[in-house]
Amino acid sequence: MSTDTSDDTGEELFGDVDLGWEHLKNRIFLGIVFAAAMFGVVALGLLLLDIATDFYVGVTEFNINLGEFLTRDGSRREELAGFRGAIVASIMLMGVTAFLSFFVGVGSAIYLEEYAPKNRVTRLIEANLANLAGVPSIVYGLLALAALRNGIGLGPIVLVGGVALALLVMPIIIVSTQEALRAVPDGVRRGSYATGATKWQTIRRVVLPAALPGIFTGTILALARAIGETAPLLMVGALFVNRIPYGPFDRFSGMPTQIYAWAAEPSQHFIHLAAIGIVVLLTMMLFMNGVAVYLRNKYETEV
Amino acid sequence: MMEQTSIATGSITRRSALATLAGVGAASIAGCLGGGGGGDGGLSGTIDASGSNTVAPITSWAGENFSNEYPDVLVDVDPQGTGAGFQEFCRQNSDVQSASRLITDEEVEICDDNDVNYDNLEVGLDGLAVVKNSENDWVEDITLEELKRTWEFESDVETWSDIREEWPDQEIALHARDSASGTFDYFTREINGEIGNVRDDYSATSQTNEIMGAVADNVDGFGWGGVGYLRAIEDDQPIEAVPVESDSTGGFFRPTRENVESGDYSPLARPLFAYFNIASLEERTDLIGSFARFYTNDAQQFARDEGFFAAPDEITDENHDRIDSWLEEVGASPDDLTVQAE
Repeated sequence: MSTDTSDDTGEELFGDVDLGWEHLKNRIFLGIVFAAAMFGVVALGLLLLDIATDFYVGVTEFNINLGEFLTRDGSRREELAGFRGAIVASIMLMGVTAFLSFFVGVGSAIYLEEYAPKNRVTRLIEANLANLAGVPSIVYGLLALAALRNGIGLGPIVLVGGVALALLVMPIIIVSTQEALRAVPDGVRRGSYATGATKWQTIRRVVLPAALPGIFTGTILALARAIGETAPLLMVGALFVNRIPYGPFDRFSGMPTQIYAWAAEPSQHFIHLAAIGIVVLLTMMLFMNGVAVYLRNKYETEV
Repeated sequence: MMEQTSIATGSITRRSALATLAGVGAASIAGCLGGGGGGDGGLSGTIDASGSNTVAPITSWAGENFSNEYPDVLVDVDPQGTGAGFQEFCRQNSDVQSASRLITDEEVEICDDNDVNYDNLEVGLDGLAVVKNSENDWVEDITLEELKRTWEFESDVETWSDIREEWPDQEIALHARDSASGTFDYFTREINGEIGNVRDDYSATSQTNEIMGAVADNVDGFGWGGVGYLRAIEDDQPIEAVPVESDSTGGFFRPTRENVESGDYSPLARPLFAYFNIASLEERTDLIGSFARFYTNDAQQFARDEGFFAAPDEITDENHDRIDSWLEEVGASPDDLTVQAE
């Protein structure tokens, strides 16, 4: 086809360039990259649609009462099963994870950004952090299993799950904190030094307050990732506990593991309970992401 | 001057922050002690149960009922599969082990190496259903020999007509459990003669739901799995059980409650077990012993509630006798237990 047209116009100037064909190629390429960009959106849309359908069927055909679903603990009886224990367990898990990862994470970011000399050791730490961020989550679960359960002999308790998740999100918190610290202009630091403040005073009074919204945003996003993590919790062995944990030393089943357990049940009722559980989990994640976005937008223009 | 005041305020903030942290820590420890400590009079503590995916629902349901009666008891059931479960059980990592088959010689060795003394209770019966798509109108029954030819190692069965000549010349899509499951061990031993003897080109999965879904979606689908999973979807989806030849009475039978409990559906019906660690019983005699009693008292109901079949009445009596002999072994009397045989 293209050879035919180029033969017809062969004697003209630039006759070997078929402009129509080139424009067509241009549009085809645009179409391909647009399709690539839309692929993720469509896949996510289909997934959400599927869950929304199951949610709807669960509420209508299986008469799952949302109020009861949120206020009852798990059960082997499908008509008695609820999500309260799992929600409480996940929130507690997030508390432990945040407590364990925040201080170490922010501390090491402050060291790396504000104090660390640019030498081999620093580069080694930073390379390690980049690698840690890429480690599959199940490996952290294995680590917690080997060190805390088989090593120290703890059971599948909230603390052990929290340690696995804290290790998982720590690199993310460190990197986002580093970025937040870097965003504080050097002039502000120098201004502080000029008034006679020490380095620690400068960091505590000037740099940290300015970077805090960014640090919180990064932490919340990291926790939003942790709350949906299933693999480390499965490795740790937290799966089939149908009750509320009252402290970090109680056994638990978080939201993702409860959903996992329900989805493997033969009964369709349980599978629709799982769908409703997914909606609750997604809502909580979206809420956390929303808070993070709000914080970022609110403090973006200041400093 | 200004600087000094503000430093002072800063240290107070820091001190109060530390105090808050200490408070949180103390609260956590208190929570731990509160959770671990028992109520007065009743039973308390945690029972760790490992084992079979298949039997876990029964043990879990027994545990939930036990917890309803004794709220300070938690029965934590971790369904990692029969084989994986015995690895835990034989290393003293669990008190109770659900099993969809008897312990193997290799596992006995691990238990012996770790000085784990144990015994089992039969808690119910499971039927393995051989399933086909409802649109499939040619397979009306299947013999044990045909099942073996279809599933054995290096089987040359590719189409339905390879199984029985009058069946159509269409390719079969085979779906079944993977080798981690007791169900797999049971099927391969009973049908193919040896555990692990199976063709290597079927779709293997650890989720029985997937097997049932795949067969319901494809007219040429063929597979097997626990009958509870079939029951859950057979009313809504085009899937049904194939009558299988019985090695006890000849004839062809579906895995219905009547056929399984009468023993006609054989060999694809199997007993389900709960193994108990005798050392755990010695350590926490009342807790573990009462749970064994409680489980045995209502095992028939628990099994039926979870879509399985009840073991015969004689088994209940035999189980109680076994518990009595365990108690004797650890130097306790049956009257010491909070839960008595019914």
